[in-house]
Amino acid sequence: MNKNLFKISPGYEEIMPAEYLDLINDGPYGKNYGVDDLGTFKELLEEHPLCAGCGLALSMRLILASLPNPEDTIIVGSTGCSALAFPQVAVQNIHSLFGNQNAVATGLKRALKLRFPDKIKDVVVVAGDGATVDIGLDMVMHSWFRKENITTIMLDNEAYANTGGQESGMSQEKAVLNMAPTGKKFPKIALPEVAQAAGCAYVGEVSPLQAKRLGKMVRNAILIAREIGPTYLQLYSPCPTNYKFKSNETMQKIKDRVKDGTFKVKEYITPEAEQFLAGIEEGKK
Amino acid sequence: MAEKTWIRMSGLGGQGVITCAHILATAANQEGKESTVNPFFGAEKRLAPAESYVRISSEVIHERGEILKPDIIMIFHPHVITLGKCYTMPFYEGLQPGGNVIINSDQPLAISKEDLEKLNQMQAKVFYVSATQIASEVGGTELSTNMAMLGALLGVAKVVSFDAVKFAVQDRFGGKNFVASGSTAALDDVMKSKFAKVTQLIEKNMNVVEEASKRVEEYQL
Amino acid sequence: MIEQKVMDPQQLFFEAERQEVFITGSEIVKEAVKRANVDIAISYPITPQSESMHLVGDLYAEGYVKEYFRGESEFAVMSEVIGAAMAGVRVFTATGGQGALRAFENFPNWSGSRLPLVCAFMTRGLNAPLSIQPDTLEMAFMLDTGMIILHAEAAQDIYDMLLKAFIIAEKTDVHIPVGVFMDGFFVTHTRDKVKITPAEFKLPPYEPYSSPIPVMDMENVPFRHMRDPFVMKSNFISYAAHASWQQEVLAAAERSRRYIQQYLGGLVEKENENADILIITSGTAVSQSQEAIAMAQQEGIDVGLVKIKCIRPFPTAEIQQLAANAKAIIVPEFNRVGWMCRELKSVIEDNTKVVGGPRVFGGMTMPPEMILDEIRRCTQ
Repeated sequence: MNKNLFKISPGYEEIMPAEYLDLINDGPYGKNYGVDDLGTFKELLEEHPLCAGCGLALSMRLILASLPNPEDTIIVGSTGCSALAFPQVAVQNIHSLFGNQNAVATGLKRALKLRFPDKIKDVVVVAGDGATVDIGLDMVMHSWFRKENITTIMLDNEAYANTGGQESGMSQEKAVLNMAPTGKKFPKIALPEVAQAAGCAYVGEVSPLQAKRLGKMVRNAILIAREIGPTYLQLYSPCPTNYKFKSNETMQKIKDRVKDGTFKVKEYITPEAEQFLAGIEEGKK
Repeated sequence: MAEKTWIRMSGLGGQGVITCAHILATAANQEGKESTVNPFFGAEKRLAPAESYVRISSEVIHERGEILKPDIIMIFHPHVITLGKCYTMPFYEGLQPGGNVIINSDQPLAISKEDLEKLNQMQAKVFYVSATQIASEVGGTELSTNMAMLGALLGVAKVVSFDAVKFAVQDRFGGKNFVASGSTAALDDVMKSKFAKVTQLIEKNMNVVEEASKRVEEYQL
Repeated sequence: MIEQKVMDPQQLFFEAERQEVFITGSEIVKEAVKRANVDIAISYPITPQSESMHLVGDLYAEGYVKEYFRGESEFAVMSEVIGAAMAGVRVFTATGGQGALRAFENFPNWSGSRLPLVCAFMTRGLNAPLSIQPDTLEMAFMLDTGMIILHAEAAQDIYDMLLKAFIIAEKTDVHIPVGVFMDGFFVTHTRDKVKITPAEFKLPPYEPYSSPIPVMDMENVPFRHMRDPFVMKSNFISYAAHASWQQEVLAAAERSRRYIQQYLGGLVEKENENADILIITSGTAVSQSQEAIAMAQQEGIDVGLVKIKCIRPFPTAEIQQLAANAKAIIVPEFNRVGWMCRELKSVIEDNTKVVGGPRVFGGMTMPPEMILDEIRRCTQ
């Protein structure tokens, strides 16, 4: 994006909303900020309508702070809690239908490649676990099989939270949720393993508890998707509302899961992607 | 009044019914007549029933879809009659008075007395032609059965000229990308592989057409 | 890419020389897309549509279309085209029958998102047991998706409607999708004569910034849409936005009327429209009616014909005027439910004179004699 585009014409400074002015003066466009810089710049997400203590909201903030190229990033979302926050994000965002996010992202990325052959346009899918692993799984996987240059990020709160806490494919076995009144009958779906088998060049599992690691992984996933192939990140983002814990216990929940071995930070990278990242590091020196 | 000839072709998938219809219609158009052609088939499978309809007229043709009142019925395979592999039952349903039926078979089929009587009442004429045999003998491949049927048609009724058919065969196989269906395209490649050169293909097919036109025989009802 | 010269639409549609070719409906789709300057085409097989998108694939291989691939299902394809259109390119796809219904959720979304997509629908029966044969039932479902709906009668319509659809869809004050419907097999697989323009000329490219809503390319200001998302209904604004947006999509279709008039010469075509008995219908039913009218004429019965080319927006005023003096209106249809009859009855003042039928469904053609029987009944 040409930065002149969002500059305010002289004389209009006073009538533009304060958050817009903040974005222009202290926003992250073209600045190469990361998680470490949070608190020093105007974030892309302006407030949000999600619940207090929402793990997903925290993950979103960290994702947005880690975009390597926010001025040329388009985020494709899906129906769910995160869709409620995206209209308040200062990068372009598409919310089309429930589950079609990777299909929309495919068309978008291919069309942007046609229109801007010499420019980087990152297409990042950010959707919930229901959208990714249940209703949209065929389109998620086919975008991987087709080697689309897109990043897929799942905000995994282990339930359909926006509709009132129903079981999803990512809920843990035996979890008692709506539509699973006697407990879930099958294990949490191993989507990271599926992603590896389906051809993702980079796959990661992380949570906002490991904020810096999350930031680095988001960055890796987007950079690799540009050049090498599809990437997948799964961010465990607990839901206080539907899992019925206090809003200040979100981090503790993740810690508990780390402790009992049901959540672990994992990273998988193909040799080709690894070489590519090493090349970038080399270039920096 | 428009001079119309409505032709219904019934056969089995893979026999070239649809291609035959396209060649005939192209030939009719080449001669300045109006013609449309459309196929009907279910799943694209060999040996499944396949029909194609050719309308030839001196005036613009509006009517679409299957031909319900044919002047000529061409039966590409005995199973159309004996196993009922056909969209119309009995096979002569809708045949116009004085119409023709051309059947590909080496010998007369066991058609019921009742059916034969009805055909007789309609003043229909029934013809047999060993189209598959002629295709093998003259064309060197059973895939030319459809061309033999086309020849038989010309032997029975001069709906188009041999020259126009030759033009249409050239148009069909002579390089221009023809489209009927994915499966037909696959069969085309098989067909082309049978002949070293396209010109040879056209020549042999025309020989089949001419031979079949001579060998079609009327069956006395 | 193959070099083609851009020609002004008006000139391409009405002034360019035309050559007559004898090809199938599927091949006509190819010829239209070849001249439409399409950036991306996305396909998925379903009979009787498949051949047309094979051929569009050939256009990609030949260098007439910039990007092409087979998606994983109709639902996915109709979403993939959303992404492409939102990124600001010209997109084409096609489906039909069960495929259209599989993808259905996307269609109101296309309209609501103001995407100028052009989709060819090759109609097919929807019943169980499974059918691949012609039937226009799916059009009943499509009527209220917000799309512009054109119905081709035969070969020539496919060519003209498809090319013109892009130009109508992309007008800034329209900018909604156009579905060009054609009856499966009867039209898609029929080889017929059609007049086409030279392949060296194509339509001007799509201009992404003619879109009335922002293009999703991060080349315009990424603004915060709202304080609360629309779906929350937490304040009056979100309610008002939904209500006004639905009206805006309908208004966009209304605004397309003048372009349909300009490019297609109107929403209807008519012949002998002052006759006491009128046949009003669309698609292949028009062709069959032509034959029936010729037969009726030999019996000394005078029958007029109205062919509806554009079903959304509906030619309400035209139909009301044409129907005013008719004594009987016959509506032959290739479907069981009689959606065209419903449409007509909803706008014709004295709708007791509307005869619903004949209706043929399940894949058979409609014998002109069936329509003739109806005509004879109307004279009694």
